[in-house]
Amino acid sequence: MAQLIQLPHRAVVATANVLGAPLRPLVPPNSVDDWGRDQHLIDLLSPLLGARWSVSVGGIHHLPARVGALLVTNQRRLSYSPLYVAWALSRATGRPVRFVGRPDHAPLGAALRRVGALLDDPTEVRGALHHGELVVLATASAAHPRHAGAVDPTLVGAAVAEGVGVYPVASMSTPFGRAARAEVGAPVRLRKKRRGPLAEIELAEATQRHLQKMLDELGGLQTGMAPLDWLGEG
Amino acid sequence: MRGQRLLVSGMGGELGSLVASLLEAEPWVGSLIGIDVDPPRRRLRRAEFHRIEPSNRERIVDVVSAFDPHVLIHLAVWEPDARAGTALARRFTGEATNESAPADPTSEYGRMLADVERAANAVAARIGVPAGAIRLAPVLGPHVPSPLGRLLRQPVVPFSALADPPFAVIRETDAAHAFVAAAQRRLAEPVNVVAPGAVTGLQAILRGKRIPLPLVGPEWAIARRISHIIGAPVPDHVMEVIHRGRLADGSRVKELLGITPTTSTPEVIDRLFAWESVVRITKTTQAVA
Repeated sequence: MAQLIQLPHRAVVATANVLGAPLRPLVPPNSVDDWGRDQHLIDLLSPLLGARWSVSVGGIHHLPARVGALLVTNQRRLSYSPLYVAWALSRATGRPVRFVGRPDHAPLGAALRRVGALLDDPTEVRGALHHGELVVLATASAAHPRHAGAVDPTLVGAAVAEGVGVYPVASMSTPFGRAARAEVGAPVRLRKKRRGPLAEIELAEATQRHLQKMLDELGGLQTGMAPLDWLGEG
Repeated sequence: MRGQRLLVSGMGGELGSLVASLLEAEPWVGSLIGIDVDPPRRRLRRAEFHRIEPSNRERIVDVVSAFDPHVLIHLAVWEPDARAGTALARRFTGEATNESAPADPTSEYGRMLADVERAANAVAARIGVPAGAIRLAPVLGPHVPSPLGRLLRQPVVPFSALADPPFAVIRETDAAHAFVAAAQRRLAEPVNVVAPGAVTGLQAILRGKRIPLPLVGPEWAIARRISHIIGAPVPDHVMEVIHRGRLADGSRVKELLGITPTTSTPEVIDRLFAWESVVRITKTTQAVA
C-alpha cells in the first residue's frame, strides 16, 4: 500500500491569502483581454501618462462606432506618439485602442502588450481589425515634428484585406512639455479602387499625403494669443 | 453520411477516450475503432480498441488497412512531461520527425506538432483526401495529464516577474467536441480552438490561492529542477507559455466547426483549482462499495 504524502493545503492557502492580499487589487482576475491588453493596468498607469502628456483630441466623430479602423499617425523620433495617441483616443472614444510596434521580447514587449501594443506583423494587425478593433500605426519616424514619414504598405494591406477604413491622425508633442495633440482626419479614399498589391501601396502613399496635409494645417500645441502678440495688438 | 467508419489514434488518452465516447453517441458513426499504447480511460460501449505499441508499425498498418476508415482522428500526440518525458513523447508522437523543420515552432513540442501536421498534409495530398488540423490551446480538465495544469496546482508557483504574459487555455470537453465536429464536417484546414479570454500567470496563481514566486531569469533553472523533483516537470513549451504567453485567434471555429467553446479561460483556470487533490474514501463509502 503506497504512502500518501499530503501537502499542508490549509497552510498554503492561508499563506497565499496573506501574500496575495496586497497584489489582488493590482491584479484583478479578469482584466486581460484576448489580445493581452490589461485595462486595469492602463487605468493604474493613466495618472503617470497624464503627468507626461496632456493630449487634446479632435476629430473623433470621423471614427466608426463599432467596426475596426486603422489609424495612421506621424511619429517624431522618441516621441512615442502611438502610445499617447492610443491612450488619448481610448479615453475619448471609450473603446480599447491598440497600437502597432511592440518588440517580441520581455520585459519591454510584454509590458507594451499589457498596455495594448501589437506585434509589427500584418497577420496580427489583420486579426485585430477583423475583430473590430481600433489600431494605431505609426509612420516611419522623422526628425521634424511636422513631417509625416513613410507608411508601411504591408500593414496597410491588413486594412485593405479586411475592408476597414484607414484614418490619418496628426499628432504633435514636445520633448519636455506636457501639451500634445491628436487630430483624427476623415478616412482616406482612393479615386479608383484597385485589387491586388498596388492597392495597399497606393493607399499607404495617399495616407502619408493626407497626414502631411493635416500636419501642415495643424496649429501649434498652444491655443490662444501669446503675450507678445497681445502687447502688439495694443 | 450514416455508417461512417472512424478510427481514433490515441484513444487511450483522456482526450482520445472522451472524443470516442462522444463519437459513440453520434448517429452518423457506423463503426469506431481506436489504437493506443494504453487502454481507454473511459468505459466505451461501441468502440473496438486495439492496444498496440507505437513501434509496432506493421500491426498498426494491418489494423488501419483492414478497417479502411472514412475518417481518421489522430490524437496520438504526446505532450512532453504530460505522461512521458520529452524523448519518449517524441518517439511515440512520430519517429519520422524531421529535425530540420522550419524554425517557426520554438519548442520541442511545437516542432513535433508541426511535423505531424506536415506529414498528415503530405499523406492527404498524396491520396486525395482532406486533412484538417485542430490547433488546441493547452488542454486543461479533470484527469487531463497537463504539465501546465500540474505546475499551476503546486502550492508555490513560479511566474515571470518581468513578463507575466497572458495565455489562453481550452477545457477538455470543448476540445473533444471540436474533434467530433471536425470529423463530421470533414475539416480540411487548420483551425485554432481556444477558450475566450486570457489570464496571466500571476492572475492564475492568485485565482487558485497559490503562493506566487516571482522569478526573473537564472533562478528559473533551479525552479524547474525543484519542480521536476516534486512531480511537476516544466517542459520548454510550458516555459514558453509562462515567459512569452500563448494567445490565438479562435474566431474561425464557429465558421469551420459550427461550435464555440463554452467555457472561458478564467473559468477553465477556476475549474483547475476546484478539482479535489485527493478523493478520500470514508468508512461509510467503503462499506457501501
